[in-house]
Amino acid sequence: MAIPQSRVRNFSIIAHIDHGKSTLADRLLELTHTIDARQMTSQVLDSMDLEREKGITIKARAVRLEHTANDGLTYALNLIDTPGHVDFAYEVSRSLQACEGAILVVDAAQGIEAQTLANVHLALREGLTIIPVVNKIDLPSAQPDVVMEELENVLAIPREEVILASAKEGTGVPEILQAIVDRIPPPTGDAGAPLRALVFDSHYDPYKGVVTYLRLSEGTLHDHDVIRLMQSGAETELLELGVFRPQLVPVKQLVAGEVGYVATGLKNVREAQVGDTVTTVARQARQPLPGYQEAKSLVFAGLYPVSGPDYPLLRDALEKLHLNDASFTYEPESSVALGFGFRCGFLGLLHMEIVQERLEREFNLDLIASAPSVEYRVNLTMDRGTVNVDNPAKFPDIGEIESIEEPWVRLGIVTPDRYIGSLMELTTGRRGTFENMEYLDPQRVHMHFELPLAELIVDYYDQLKSRTQGYASMDYEEIGYRAANLVKLDVLVNGEPVDALSLIVHRERAQATGRALTTQLRKLIPRQMFEVPIQAAIGSHVVARENIAAIRKNVLAKCYGGDITRKRKLLEKQKEGKQRMKRVGSVEIPQEAFLAILRMGEE
Amino acid sequence: MPFCVSLCPYCDFVVYAGAAARGPNARTGAFVDVLLTEIDLRADAADATFGRARSPLRTVYLGGGTPTMLPAGAIAAILDRIRSRFGVADDAEVTIEANPGPDERGDAMTLVSSGINRLSMGAQSFDPALLRRLGRRHRASDVADAVSTARAAGIGSISLDLLYDVPGQSVAAFAASLDAALELGVDHVSAYALTIDDPDAEGLTGMTGDHLPTTAGARRWRARATRDQDDDRAADQYRLATDRLGAAGFRGYEISNWARPGHEGRHNLVYWRREPYEAVGPGAHAFDGVTRRWNAARLDSYLAALAPRDRARPALPPGGSEVVDGDVAAAEALILALRLDDGVPIEAADGDPFEPVARWGLRTGLLERVANRIRLTTTGRLLSNEVFARLV
Repeated sequence: MAIPQSRVRNFSIIAHIDHGKSTLADRLLELTHTIDARQMTSQVLDSMDLEREKGITIKARAVRLEHTANDGLTYALNLIDTPGHVDFAYEVSRSLQACEGAILVVDAAQGIEAQTLANVHLALREGLTIIPVVNKIDLPSAQPDVVMEELENVLAIPREEVILASAKEGTGVPEILQAIVDRIPPPTGDAGAPLRALVFDSHYDPYKGVVTYLRLSEGTLHDHDVIRLMQSGAETELLELGVFRPQLVPVKQLVAGEVGYVATGLKNVREAQVGDTVTTVARQARQPLPGYQEAKSLVFAGLYPVSGPDYPLLRDALEKLHLNDASFTYEPESSVALGFGFRCGFLGLLHMEIVQERLEREFNLDLIASAPSVEYRVNLTMDRGTVNVDNPAKFPDIGEIESIEEPWVRLGIVTPDRYIGSLMELTTGRRGTFENMEYLDPQRVHMHFELPLAELIVDYYDQLKSRTQGYASMDYEEIGYRAANLVKLDVLVNGEPVDALSLIVHRERAQATGRALTTQLRKLIPRQMFEVPIQAAIGSHVVARENIAAIRKNVLAKCYGGDITRKRKLLEKQKEGKQRMKRVGSVEIPQEAFLAILRMGEE
Repeated sequence: MPFCVSLCPYCDFVVYAGAAARGPNARTGAFVDVLLTEIDLRADAADATFGRARSPLRTVYLGGGTPTMLPAGAIAAILDRIRSRFGVADDAEVTIEANPGPDERGDAMTLVSSGINRLSMGAQSFDPALLRRLGRRHRASDVADAVSTARAAGIGSISLDLLYDVPGQSVAAFAASLDAALELGVDHVSAYALTIDDPDAEGLTGMTGDHLPTTAGARRWRARATRDQDDDRAADQYRLATDRLGAAGFRGYEISNWARPGHEGRHNLVYWRREPYEAVGPGAHAFDGVTRRWNAARLDSYLAALAPRDRARPALPPGGSEVVDGDVAAAEALILALRLDDGVPIEAADGDPFEPVARWGLRTGLLERVANRIRLTTTGRLLSNEVFARLV
């Protein structure tokens, strides 16, 4: 039964991690009988193992709920799920563009968090209707009044609009469904016009080819249409047309305003990129929809196979994963130390970690990541122009450099006010400057800093969390490039420069960083058959040195009839450990060492 | 023999201690009966496979736990049963492990009359503070008493176990223990680096595993001890043992074993030469040249199988087995042989897997060539896993 456009609602849920977004989504699925209670697992929409483990949403996902509202009519409610982490603002904005409204979920005990604020602003900019929900009112520590005051102060949301809910217990959920119907406007768009549908996500299916997720802006799509992707020019007959319930369920047609999927049968991922516009060959639209801005990579790192012959596998894996996550970039690079690999750009550190883990799990690869870097602008001497460098190993020689600029971010932190001092110290200690702050409620503040991105990506987030017992949250946006007094610090292991360990540091901190790095490497690189010096140097000037003494004992003292098998297994384990290391010159370096820079704060 | 008076926190042999080992509720008596049953069943199997006219055993080893604390007559009964069912050669080496404490070392005269001719004693150290730290019950002076009583009773070969790389043990303190052992005129010394393992993490402590789960106290002790171990100090201690024992006329015939000529542990040589051996008791491992099999560690299931209620027929206890053949067997043979000071014949280094490793080992000084054989150097012994891990 087709539901008219006037009874379609497209919405997403904006929430901070752990504020109950997945639970609310689960309740909505249950209440609308989208999923059988017997098949109900928690975090239904987070189907990736990684998402369940980390308790976060990484990929946007869509599901269609059919709900009979108070007026007795059935509505199609398309929930387009969004990631909550700061790294995924790009995914969030894509999801929001497919919606007319958003449910803002705030934990009644925690209050509004930095990323939530950022995402709400994003939604408001897109002109979305916000349905504010204060969740977890069943908690003994819930303070719905304080949170409603926050919403009023910070986002000018009147109290009477707020729905008090406990997704866990189901209270308030029917009211939320009714609010979706009442408050969020139906999509607009002429169902009779030539088809224009925006690809907002996609995945690759070995049987159905590229499956694109569509939001129809105008026109109607039938399951027998021949479609054309306007940017790539690819044309194909539809294999299947359908909606998300949340598994893929075929339908005969989709009309303007609706959300669904198309199995294209296309094998080449480049022919159906996210942001492209789908139209029909029979009745082509004249203009494609404005696509998405390309995701901007802020963090760069090299990914290398532990074993060199896996390089083609890594290339294929990157290509496949890229279809599912267009927000990272990759291009081939080679390293003296690590061999052939790819320079990849990520939205942030968590994104980098997730891409690496997905490559390893979903494609069964063993990878080494080099230390993350930002993209520097290096102005060359004698007016030879500017080069962008995202890999410290590729930095021009000192003599070639006129000046260097680095990216800065504006950082927003929401924190209980007792941590103000500690966060000031943390941030200014990393070359950050304090801008201003405002109180959200009597105990919580929203602080604003400006900070070089390079300082943020090392372990700033971990430090923030540990200094505030996990209470602070943060969000950042790029604010452009600024001149910086930076130098390249090289690391020599056993006299040989290890390009993958080079990093860019502020000149005044070069020596301290060099010391911390060599100390950390001494701990991370196991003792070898000979003494191994580790040096940090600027050009030819050594600023720090540590020695790893030669290994002197590695012996299984006891080996009798009862433990030959056991000892053999221990030896096999040692062998595997060695195989996972990267041989640089004659030194075996474990994977962790290439990320030593991230651990310099640890003692 | 899965009983000791008390548990030592570093040890992961199959051991039941306390009331299970001594006193009115001790399970030792029931255990010995059942052990005799297992000997019978194993012998029946051997009879069926090889016939009754087999060559007699060349070595017998009663160990694991503290066999000398079994009830009077138990050792004699066990050896009698082994003799009657398997046969024991006249010149066989018959070893028993003992702890030095007066209440746990057993009566030397009785042992000798049962047929024991070799004693391996867990001295571990002669330093009172270190003995306490290791959770040992005996005093340093007990070792001398035990050795002289054994000698007087006519035990022909006596070995002491010593530990190094013990937390808080200086090189000098280890040297003093070595000297004390030598002063007692023993024939054989086993010096082991204190090895702290985690059989639970290795997956060895399940229902059919050959180890018992580690107690919480032992786990804490091991965590603390691991932090205080030091490879550099351990290497110095090992070199010291090599020098001192060598100077005293002992041959370091295996990585951790030194003997005066003619006193090498023949039983253990069977393991390193990868020759077959039978085994009985909880957690015991046997090897027939191809298949390695083991009994599960848990005493309850061991007793239940061999002494079932309701007059059911006794069955072999639960356990496991693995077939070791092909490349794995070859690598294992190489690794075991390289633990010995006569190493392997030079021809063993023709072809894979040993050829490239041998070349590397000879170049780096971990291996040396002596006449037509290749063996580990002293440095090579200390770093033997660097060689072995390249062979597995």
